[in-house]
Amino acid sequence: MKKRVLALTMALTMAFLTACSGGGGQSGTAADTGGGESGGASAETGGNSAVDAEITEPVTIKFANYAVLEAGYDVYWNGLLEKFHEENPNITVELVTAPYGEIVNTIINMAGGGDKVDVIFGENDWIPTLVDAGLAAPVENVLSQELVADIYPNILEACSMDGVAYGVPMYISPFLMYYNKDLFEQAGLDPNSPPTTYDEMLEIAPKLAALTTEDGNQVYPFGLTTASVAVSGACLTSSVYNFGGTVLDEEGNLAIDQGFRDAVEMWKTLDDNGYNPQNSKLKDLRNLFALGQLAMYYDQSWGYNGISSINPDAESFIASAAPLKGGDGTGESVLQAGTLMVVDNGDAQKAAVAKLVDFIMSEEMLTEYFETVSPAYPARQSMADLEVIADSPILAGAADSVSNLKTVTFVPALSDLNLELCTLAQAVTVSGTDVDTAIADFETAARGILE
Amino acid sequence: MEKKGFMKIQMTARQRNDRIFAGALLLPSVLITVVFILIPVVDSVVKSFLDYEVRNIISGTPGEWNNFDNYIRLFRNGRLGMSIVNTLAFVVGVVVVQFLLGMALALILNSNIKFARFVRSIMMAPWVVPTIISGLIWMWLYQPQYGLLKYLIQIFTGGSVTDFAILNNPQTAMLGIAIAALWKQIPLTTLLLVSGLTNVSEDLLEAATIDGAGSVRKFFSITIPSIMSVIKITVSMSIIENFKQFPLFWTMTGGGPDNSTTTLAILSYREAFVSNNFGSGAAVTTIWMLLMIVVIFVYNRIFRNVDMN
Repeated sequence: MKKRVLALTMALTMAFLTACSGGGGQSGTAADTGGGESGGASAETGGNSAVDAEITEPVTIKFANYAVLEAGYDVYWNGLLEKFHEENPNITVELVTAPYGEIVNTIINMAGGGDKVDVIFGENDWIPTLVDAGLAAPVENVLSQELVADIYPNILEACSMDGVAYGVPMYISPFLMYYNKDLFEQAGLDPNSPPTTYDEMLEIAPKLAALTTEDGNQVYPFGLTTASVAVSGACLTSSVYNFGGTVLDEEGNLAIDQGFRDAVEMWKTLDDNGYNPQNSKLKDLRNLFALGQLAMYYDQSWGYNGISSINPDAESFIASAAPLKGGDGTGESVLQAGTLMVVDNGDAQKAAVAKLVDFIMSEEMLTEYFETVSPAYPARQSMADLEVIADSPILAGAADSVSNLKTVTFVPALSDLNLELCTLAQAVTVSGTDVDTAIADFETAARGILE
Repeated sequence: MEKKGFMKIQMTARQRNDRIFAGALLLPSVLITVVFILIPVVDSVVKSFLDYEVRNIISGTPGEWNNFDNYIRLFRNGRLGMSIVNTLAFVVGVVVVQFLLGMALALILNSNIKFARFVRSIMMAPWVVPTIISGLIWMWLYQPQYGLLKYLIQIFTGGSVTDFAILNNPQTAMLGIAIAALWKQIPLTTLLLVSGLTNVSEDLLEAATIDGAGSVRKFFSITIPSIMSVIKITVSMSIIENFKQFPLFWTMTGGGPDNSTTTLAILSYREAFVSNNFGSGAAVTTIWMLLMIVVIFVYNRIFRNVDMN
């Protein structure tokens, strides 16, 4: 009998503990939802007053930032938040972190439980998802007018849906072309005259393809990422734009045109000639470039960090150039941006968020970022002549391409559409499918995604 | 007579108490199963018939009935059929090879070879490695420019094959992932089968030897039937493990190249968490679950007949 009572007690205890553990999570969320400490600002949010407003009562804001978990970025972000807290002792910034690939789901799951973050640092491609979720707020409702007005209009447009901006880029980059000056010299090419069109690139490619590294490894002339990750799709979209083509029209419908076909033909040509490492991710291309096995490739400016982490001497041979022009295109590119998106959680939170974003976007902090963390271009017009950019041998060659960006039409399923573009590129390369069939298959799949 | 009747009543009361006690013991497990498994499964099936997206979660608004549109869209865009074929091919291939290799290793380890116990401990290492880490390790081995596999192929072919990239070729990418899955899963299969083999009756084997049975006959007529219950569990665990395999696919290929490794797991992830269409993601998982039920049902039918024999 004693044993029975003991067993029953244990079973009930287990059930009780299980129930408590579940409930604990809920009550934690509820407490968080309460907004934590009540905050108060002595001025209305929005406009310059948002930044000038003195925060008179303690307020806590939640800042979702995946970069804090990444080596090389963590020191900068933690230092920035410390400085911000020193200047704004009444504002406590609570970090919400998750790995890059999981942070959006983390934010959404938290919001589903009633616990919304206040600021999000991420890719501008996340805007459609966050707007569709009802999370991202128009920046002009939260941030200072001075800051919003200082962002390049074409950059702000690239962060907009239906004419409303939902993010301000902290730093930007087109998909620029990095090239290896040493390999150009070895191939008898002028290292200061990179190709400007795809045709020029194809002309010099055989000379570069004939090179080998000291270890006898093959040198690839041109790298274009095609592996199944969303950023590869963005890079492929950029390649379509190089040719003057489109993927989606302004209404978000599929709009395949001659420029699109020309781009796909080019992907096939590159593969048929063995010029492009097949099915590579950007990090694979960075590895190859760092090891002197890749002569030219498309990347975001901050891809340089991946290169220099493998080969610290990369600065001696790397240079950048504007994206190539193809067909009737002018070499337009897709904007890539580390973007700050804001959530409207009430006036007290908005005032604190405006101050934080203004601090992050200040010349002092951005200069430190470009100097110590990663090379990129500022999105603020007032920082056009920032010394750290003008003096950068890495960025100088592609500086003008920032003004030659084409806006991507934001649709909620943009990431999935990007993955389907990768499938299209893989079809015409590793699968050897003919261009017309591959595009027809892409159209079917893409329409299914966009429906 | 009365005493007998009293005894009967006493027994019935005791039985009733036993039942109440058993029910009380079972209650926590039943509650947990209902709350954490049954209700989410039913909820997912219901959502598969609805327009249910991120905004529904955040605003707390219910999804809207969409006339089977999630299913219609999946069947129309051609990705579902391909995912089912890829999933089944992977499951069948890996489970069969895993069982054969696992059994071979188990027989070796169950024989009186030296260091068998040591080898048993060492061989569990891959099973302990997290699946995502396994995927990353195998990606490095497969790396097309400087990976170990490329180097080995180059040596064994006398330099005639220099560009072998198993994950870049739609014909071989699934094989590449299957090898990684086998590397990780074979240790557990082997361990389970070894534990079964140690319980095979030595008397029976000895009697069969005296009767003139050869090794093959003893294996199929005594060893296999003796460990059939272990085989059933081992294989069904393997089927389930590989049916739900997601980390290896997502880490190593992301479903590519050219959709050659897009399984139901990848498709459901893309629908739910890349396209942020939870209704459509739920439709894939519902089909996935039904398929798994059918496979397990067929498997149990086959093994039931074997038991009867």
